[in-house]
Amino acid sequence: MSSRARVTARRRREVGLAYLLLAPTLLLLGGVLAYPLGWEVWTSFTSLSPRQEGGTAFVGLENYRRHLEDPQFWIAATVTVVHAVVTTVAKLALGLGFALLLARPFRGRALVFLAVFLPWAYPASVSVIGWYWTLSPPITTAYSVFMGTLKYAVDGALGTGAWAFLSVTLFNIWRGSSFIGVLLLAGINAVPPELFEYATLESKSAWQRFWVVTVPLLRPFLALGVFLSLTTGFADLANVWMLTAGRIVFPIIGTHAYWLAIKAGEFGSASALSLMLVPFLLAALLVLFRLFDPPEREAA
Amino acid sequence: MSPRGWWRRSGHRGLVLLATVYCLFPIYFVLVQSLKTAEEDIFGNPFIVLHPTLENFEELFVPRGEPRGFVGTALRRAYPFFVWLENTIVVFAGTVVLTLGAAVAAAYALGRLRPPGFRWWRRVIFATYVIPQTILFVPLYHVVNALGLDDNLLVLVLVYPTTALPFCVWMLSAYFQHLPREIEEAALIEGAGRATAFFRIILPLSRPVLVAAGIFTLGTIASDFTLASVFLLSDINQTIPAGLGTMDVALDELLAVAGINLMAIPIVAISACFARGYVRGLTAAMLEGA
Repeated sequence: MSSRARVTARRRREVGLAYLLLAPTLLLLGGVLAYPLGWEVWTSFTSLSPRQEGGTAFVGLENYRRHLEDPQFWIAATVTVVHAVVTTVAKLALGLGFALLLARPFRGRALVFLAVFLPWAYPASVSVIGWYWTLSPPITTAYSVFMGTLKYAVDGALGTGAWAFLSVTLFNIWRGSSFIGVLLLAGINAVPPELFEYATLESKSAWQRFWVVTVPLLRPFLALGVFLSLTTGFADLANVWMLTAGRIVFPIIGTHAYWLAIKAGEFGSASALSLMLVPFLLAALLVLFRLFDPPEREAA
Repeated sequence: MSPRGWWRRSGHRGLVLLATVYCLFPIYFVLVQSLKTAEEDIFGNPFIVLHPTLENFEELFVPRGEPRGFVGTALRRAYPFFVWLENTIVVFAGTVVLTLGAAVAAAYALGRLRPPGFRWWRRVIFATYVIPQTILFVPLYHVVNALGLDDNLLVLVLVYPTTALPFCVWMLSAYFQHLPREIEEAALIEGAGRATAFFRIILPLSRPVLVAAGIFTLGTIASDFTLASVFLLSDINQTIPAGLGTMDVALDELLAVAGINLMAIPIVAISACFARGYVRGLTAAMLEGA
């Protein structure tokens, strides 16, 4: 066998091994996600509902059309977008603040770092229960009158459910800012210090340094943080929706889809609704990939 | 010291204090409530506990079937908390092991072996995050039922990895990709197999990144309430979050709060032990421009 043939044979074995090693991940992801996603896409084109008489019919884009004509949908869409933007910006701002605060050594830094790390490490599955019942406490607690007054003041001004929505959003920001803070701190550590120092010499004020040096150097990590914030921002609201057995209907697309599916039994409509976010998330991901997964520089 | 330096240092200290209080206050508040007697919970100051007690924690372990007394006419039932604890440990340990195993294998393939189109594989795996989790559990239930796995802990062990795998594969493959080729080649030339080179050289080197992936997985799955409460129905099959969700908070507020702490404290302790490793691992994966 010539040496070239040996190299290609070896390469072929490597590629085979690569696919073998990829298999568990692809099986797990595909096994869990492929059928449900396919079902959801197909169902969104049908009138599937246990209340439907005479079987399920294929209705094409009818479900989507009906949502687009529904003023409720536009309210939900607006609130969803505002919620996503506000929480993401808040998490980034707070997280960046934490990271910059922790970037330079000072006495007790290790402890402060631990404090910043804890909101994310604290299991949200149970802390969201604690958080929710603290802000809407049962009447026997010492703070229930105060919280009740606050709750009715907020609900009275903004509408029923506003207090629960705002409080869960605050919780989401509290937790997310911790995750992004630690992520950005790791990012700052990954940037060679000479780069920071050199750029610092070039800039005049601290404010300018922040925008001209810090933000561009951290851009890949900021982009990663934005994406993870967008895809996980809804989880806490979903948890509370489940916790309260759907008693509270938040005016956002995610829980509206829950309500349609579970309470109203309109699976077709609910599938369409929850899929309507996908194109936007996918577009965001494609933009963000350019920032945190740039094409490899050759001969690196 | 110049006045300017003094202002700057106090400002820094003030911000540090503010950040610490902001991060720790909710955790402190929940901890304080769990240490209260029912009396202090009603009449005491919400922010402090004067007569700390562990009775709420003890009450969690009252054996099942034994009544715990009444509130008015309502019977306070006992919960199988110990079973929930066991279930949680099984599910979390199983998920972390499965996720790390699958992620390391895939990341090695993508970062070192680089099959054709490896960058696209990586992106596609990461892009599964855009699939909305909202009502996905409805069709997922069809699959689970078809496999006869409903009300079974195994469901969570199989479903949870999807929430953490994409990021773990991403992070680990970025790290593997940046390791110089020579590291392995030296071992290969000396006659060692690929597997030996991997277990002897690459895996020990990547310990911090493995820690980071493990902590990320733990933090991610510990934030799920929805899937656990959808798929685990009978109380002896539930994990702590699913179980606590079924508690009657009007009757058992202090008990629920104690349960929250009992789940949170071990996870926080584990995470805190590895916190520095977590940052080091993230940094290692991000070096050389993400």
